[in-house]
Amino acid sequence: MTAFDHDDEVVVIVGSGAGGGTLAHELTTRGIRVVLIEAGAHIRLEEHVNDEWEAFGQMAWTDPRTTSGSWRIARDFPNLPAWLVKAVGGTTTHWAGATPRFLEHELRARSTYGSIEGATLLDWPLTLAELAPYYDRAEIALGSSHRHGRPAMAANNNYKVLANGAARVGYNFYATGPYGTNSEPYDGRPGTIQDGFNFQGDRSGAKWSTLVREIPRAEATGNLDLRPDCQVVQITHDARGRADAVIYLDADDNLHRQRARVVAVAGNSIETPRLLLLSASSRFPDGLANSSGHVGRHYMRHTTGSVYAQFEHPVHQYRGETMAGIIADEARHDPDRGFAGGYYLETLALGPAFLAAFAEPGSWGPDFTSILDGYVNTAGLWIVGEDMPQETNRVTLNGTVTDAHGLPVANVHFDDHPNDVAMREHGYGQAELLYDAVGSTSAHRTPPYPSTHNLGTSRMSAKPEDGVTNAFGRAHDVPNLFVSDGSVFTTGGAANPTLTIVALAMRQADHIVDLFSRHEL
Amino acid sequence: MTSLSTEEAPRRFLESDRAHVLLVRVIRIAFPHDTLPVSAYERTADSLLNLAVQTNRMTLAVANGLDSLGSLPQGDFLGLPDDEAFAHLKSIERTEFFTFVRGNTVLTLYNLPEVWAALGYEGASVEKGGYLTRGFDDLNWLPDPRVEEYSGELTRVEQGPLPYPVKASRRTEADEVTL
Ligand SMILES: Cc1cc2nc3c(=O)[nH]c(=O)nc-3n(C[C@H](O)[C@H](O)[C@H](O)COP(=O)(O)OP(=O)(O)OC[C@H]3O[C@@H](n4cnc5c(N)ncnc54)[C@H](O)[C@@H]3O)c2cc1C
Repeated sequence: MTAFDHDDEVVVIVGSGAGGGTLAHELTTRGIRVVLIEAGAHIRLEEHVNDEWEAFGQMAWTDPRTTSGSWRIARDFPNLPAWLVKAVGGTTTHWAGATPRFLEHELRARSTYGSIEGATLLDWPLTLAELAPYYDRAEIALGSSHRHGRPAMAANNNYKVLANGAARVGYNFYATGPYGTNSEPYDGRPGTIQDGFNFQGDRSGAKWSTLVREIPRAEATGNLDLRPDCQVVQITHDARGRADAVIYLDADDNLHRQRARVVAVAGNSIETPRLLLLSASSRFPDGLANSSGHVGRHYMRHTTGSVYAQFEHPVHQYRGETMAGIIADEARHDPDRGFAGGYYLETLALGPAFLAAFAEPGSWGPDFTSILDGYVNTAGLWIVGEDMPQETNRVTLNGTVTDAHGLPVANVHFDDHPNDVAMREHGYGQAELLYDAVGSTSAHRTPPYPSTHNLGTSRMSAKPEDGVTNAFGRAHDVPNLFVSDGSVFTTGGAANPTLTIVALAMRQADHIVDLFSRHEL
Repeated sequence: MTSLSTEEAPRRFLESDRAHVLLVRVIRIAFPHDTLPVSAYERTADSLLNLAVQTNRMTLAVANGLDSLGSLPQGDFLGLPDDEAFAHLKSIERTEFFTFVRGNTVLTLYNLPEVWAALGYEGASVEKGGYLTRGFDDLNWLPDPRVEEYSGELTRVEQGPLPYPVKASRRTEADEVTL
């Protein structure tokens, strides 16, 4: 195990998920020394459990957070705005695997959709052509099915219902992927055993995560010092305003200081702005890298919702790959539908424990129990679409509530934009038609879960006054500070975000290597 | 007529058979399933009572909530027909007592392996080799669909309407949405 000294000038990466784990891999394999600091524990594959609540309790970020705004989460799950993982590998340990790319126009949302009242749309400072080679590399790393010679995932029962329904309503662009789990052995890892526990840590290793791929490979270079159970609580800077160290708490609540030549923050879209805000100083009184005031703002969570439909015959939705089923026909910008942007429909399955908790929070009585009684004959899908960035949808520091370390927790404020509501309604309607076409006897509209896609709180912008980072995730205000996770998304697109987070982290790594070689960092 | 809880401290009341029997009925009326064994409701009631006695606040709320079920204007909750019992729970659904019972039943009842079995859920599978050879694709009441991506003549539309017919739900009217 490599261990660097606290006084070594290393690249410090905060968070080991999709963004941070990928960046650590890219840098260490090119000879750069990295200290990767991760708040959660290093949980090995054999410790993963096939049990929804147990796996959640073992790995999810359950430290307190607070909520406000008119979203239903603030009522049903006031202290659980998001479903994120606190462990080595981050939320890639609980992700399912859907890997669509952004569409070209989704990176130009402001130009394409025009001005939408209440929305803070902006074009990305980046084109699809610039991103495309990194998408290729990311798909190869994740082993996305249907791409680069990877075979299609087999159809499970839930997909059979989805795909037949899709065909009957007239959709064409459906398939079992692209999906970042091995359908057959690949990259030193086995093919799927279709165990159905894809929102939990994967015992088999068939599912891509930075826990199984990037982190062990980075460790093998001898250039990675991984520090689990350590939470960064402040980034400090020198007299020139350059980041020079991070302060972190170890498992025993002791504070340490690690010197840094570069700091890259990849704590996901709630903890990343929290850390920048906690790092306010006399030079950066509103938070580090926040002279624009955009840190924490434009929080996005995708417009989501689920439909669970019951049939006369068995489905057994829980068997097999949870999200290996994607319909793309509605993922287009067609204002004739009554909203801007588009959405995907994807298979989704929950066990009875999570279905009971999330199908209709707060509900009870026979209407509720009928959802569970029909469990075996139930098919499920998820709507995932672009939501509108809004200035007031925002992560801030809570002035009164503190965590176990005595630090202010993040408050997540969210109101749906009318565009989000219209899109969700449309998605519910299409999903019901789809299931009706294959004989559903009932369908239930489930509201959004605690957010699994958290985006936008340190957004990229061409102009420093419009956002927090440039097109490489480099902070406009602090030249050796980078943001390396979904916080940098200028807008959300309809695509599940992880492939794009990985592609952006790879692109950022190339840029950092380039700046180092030119002695500009 | 004195109720138990005026003679015993609330915590001891929660440990009594009477409290247990009342709570089992509350849960069965609130979460009715024909297929679940009574033992599942009993285990859920046990865990809720164990949870309630952990804090004074919940001890008071749950003891008071259960105790008052004994002296309803309609009589004892245990003697009410199911529809009247349900109507009574509806009338108290916003109380701290009922919120506690509802929330924790959802987390407890549906996390019991015996309930999973009754609902037809098979639970942990990795030890059994997943469902690869145990029915992940055994649905046979629909034809086997394509798993590959579309490769016909159409190209995927990224902007604007689709050039092929799709059944569509009602369009959201412009005045319902501000664009
Ligand atoms: C159930 C579920 C299913 C999903 N399915 C899909 C899918 O099918 N497709 C898809 O594209 N996406 C999916 N996602 C989303 C995907 O997991 C995330 O997009 C992705 O993991 C985000 O990467 P990240 O690097 O931004 O953050 P994360 O992966 O969340 O990693 C952040 C890490 O930083 C750590 N951290 C935070 N703050 C600190 C600190 N101060 N100090 C030290 N460490 C810190 C955290 O503990 C965490 O480990 C899913 C998510 C969930 C929950």
